[in-house]
Amino acid sequence: MSLLEVKGLRRDYGALRAVDDVSFSLEAGGILGFIGPNGAGKSTTLRILATLDVPTAGTVLLDGTSLVDAPDRARPLLGYMPDRYGTYDDVTVREFLDFFARAYGLKGALRKQRVESVMEFTGLGPLAHKLTTELSKGMRQRVALGRTLLHDPRLLLLDEPADGLDPRARIELRELLRALADQGKAVIISSHILTELAEICDSCVIIEQGRLLAQGKVEDLLRQSAGPSRVMELTVRLATQGDEAEALWSRTERTLLEQPRVKDVAREASALRVRLELEADAGPAQAEAAAAALLAALVSQGLPVCAFSPRERNLEDAFMTVTKGRVA
Amino acid sequence: MSTQASPASGAAESAPAPGVPAAVSDRWEKWGDRLNPLVVKEVRQGLRTRVFWVSFGLLLAACLALSLIAFANTHDSNYTREGRTYFFSFFVCLALVHFGLIPFNAYRSLAREREDETWSLLLLTGLGPRRILRGKVTSFLVQAVLYASAVGPFLLFSYFLNGIDLPTILMVLVLGGAWMVFLTLVSVCAATLADSRMGRAAVRLALVGVLVVTFFQALTFTFVVTNERGSGFSFDRSFFLGLGAAFWALVSNGWLVFETAVARLSLVTEDYTRHPRRALVAQVVLTFVGMTAMWWLMDRDDDIPGVMGILGGLHLIFATLFMATDVDGQSRPLRAGTRAWTLFRPGALRGFRLSVLLLVGWAVGCGGLLWLSDGSASSLRMGMAQAALALYGVLYLSVALLLGRMPRSGRFASPVSVRLLYILVGVLGAGVPPLLAVFLNLEGRDELLNLLNPVLGTLNFGKFDYSDPSGLKLPPELLLCVALVAFLAAFAADRVLAERERRAHQQ
Repeated sequence: MSLLEVKGLRRDYGALRAVDDVSFSLEAGGILGFIGPNGAGKSTTLRILATLDVPTAGTVLLDGTSLVDAPDRARPLLGYMPDRYGTYDDVTVREFLDFFARAYGLKGALRKQRVESVMEFTGLGPLAHKLTTELSKGMRQRVALGRTLLHDPRLLLLDEPADGLDPRARIELRELLRALADQGKAVIISSHILTELAEICDSCVIIEQGRLLAQGKVEDLLRQSAGPSRVMELTVRLATQGDEAEALWSRTERTLLEQPRVKDVAREASALRVRLELEADAGPAQAEAAAAALLAALVSQGLPVCAFSPRERNLEDAFMTVTKGRVA
Repeated sequence: MSTQASPASGAAESAPAPGVPAAVSDRWEKWGDRLNPLVVKEVRQGLRTRVFWVSFGLLLAACLALSLIAFANTHDSNYTREGRTYFFSFFVCLALVHFGLIPFNAYRSLAREREDETWSLLLLTGLGPRRILRGKVTSFLVQAVLYASAVGPFLLFSYFLNGIDLPTILMVLVLGGAWMVFLTLVSVCAATLADSRMGRAAVRLALVGVLVVTFFQALTFTFVVTNERGSGFSFDRSFFLGLGAAFWALVSNGWLVFETAVARLSLVTEDYTRHPRRALVAQVVLTFVGMTAMWWLMDRDDDIPGVMGILGGLHLIFATLFMATDVDGQSRPLRAGTRAWTLFRPGALRGFRLSVLLLVGWAVGCGGLLWLSDGSASSLRMGMAQAALALYGVLYLSVALLLGRMPRSGRFASPVSVRLLYILVGVLGAGVPPLLAVFLNLEGRDELLNLLNPVLGTLNFGKFDYSDPSGLKLPPELLLCVALVAFLAAFAADRVLAERERRAHQQ
């Protein structure tokens, strides 16, 4: 049985339908990415899952407990981190965590033990006596994550956790989330930084205008979004310098466009992006053969090709294919 | 990495600090665990702010300067009566903090909690809105006690300057304390009123205005009590009864305001209306009992039910403005246990029914006391005015609900819209008939034209008519007409609300 079961979730605000018949499930230890454009209903869904809002229709079961009918019983099982970190002024890191540990009803030695272990896990130990207002964004986000972990929840709901973080903080967050999943916690992350999600998540849910458009494992989504017409994308770089560079780029572009399978060539910063159309039933071997023929054509023209690589489809491509960029 | 800590680290952390016996440390620890976490956090936060220390320092400095002036003015004289002047001066210093800073900071603290969304995080911990608000209010009262500790010795010092007695000092301090608690509760409730940025700004402005006005009112009252004692009034039975009534008004309305704030911060899945509705019913019943006791003690004086009937009616009209304008229906978990007579459960239908019951019940109760007073024409007029006020309350509430909730569009169905409609129809009902009378060349206060006017109608029913042998300006039959109109409107509103609830539950 899944840890979280969402069935036919709907939320109306007057005439506006913010979430419409959304269903998905999540196993313990899984990380689910919740993707959608602004206003797609991600935060509304997360707020319902966090028992802060009530659906107009549908059921949400967390470990068999209904979040709608028995929110008080479900709350100890979930940890919610909103897009705002929600820290207080004039409070140190330890005091902040201690306050929330008290609020969760942890007492005496157990409370201190939990605060210490959470600080150790999130790497906040050296900052224990710093005021939260003196911390960087990344560190404040860790404090918020620490708060979410204090009562040892089974499901974590993280709304845009990587928003505004620098690359190092993002990588560290990714590691923390992986470690949590390894401990058996289920994690739901809503984010619009899709490259991040692809690396962290096991599965994804894509919603738009409140409706679920696609869901499944990341690799399945990539495969599904590629569609039946096989299009291969390649990146070509040239070793060019000086006055001749522009002429070489133009010549390469022309040569590429003369090839039979090439449908489109686009100039990017220091490379050319080539779209190659294959037969509908083409397999990996045919795709590689087509790419090899193209490379041979370029080399035979004496063009200084220094890089020639197929461009993998990523979550961004899948997202753009599945959604149409509309918002509710 | 693991979020599970080893037991050893916990044991090390819980070890008592050097120099503190383990038993004492454990006792402190257990005592601390029992405290509301909000109190610990808010007091800790409050004591770290610059505002606290600057205010505390200024308060202390002002009191010191005043006592030096008092010493310089009085040390040569054998006997002075400057005590009341200096007591009032010290009280002004304390009032600035107690009636201004503390309530405003309480408002700001909760408003910020809602703005930053830390509120929802607190709710998820399982603390619940009641404990959270209780913690907030308590923490600000702790800060108020700290401020009072700075001024307390100086207030006592004023006693030794003669001119003021200890009962007066005690009474002013007790009433001042109750007033401060009430203002803090009102401020906390105000912080729950608005959700939008514009709304918050408006509430903030209104609160500052209220705090400024009530600050001067409180000072005026204190000045009168300290300076007129012995000449203007004395501590007789009437004074203590009035004082008791004022104290009850502060306590019961403070409780009501607190429960309203808790309800506004509760989630829709909770039985959020039970406590405020219960508080209102308890307030009405206990006030009626207290009023009856006062009426009995004051030799069945019909002024008591007469005045209280109108004041209570107005209070109930204001309270029903919020109670009957709740959203339609209730959340799924609550529906199963809701019976037709459970009026404390959420939903506009039950709020409306309870409102009608309270308004009519209060008028009937006060009318009964008036009838038992002496049965004179004056009592009958007062009784009719009270009944008319209650009926107008029911009528206009019903009309507002019909206008807001009857159309299928739901454009004006929100609680705020219905409240605004209530005020609007009330203003129109009070303003249009006199204007119409002018156009029809009639007297502005024409009795028949103003029969449904909530202001002039109430006044006309209570007015004495010298030309009529019964002394009644309007006959009781006309009151029955108003009752019939109010009943029909209430019945229609009840059916509309019942239908809307049915539809809301079907979704």
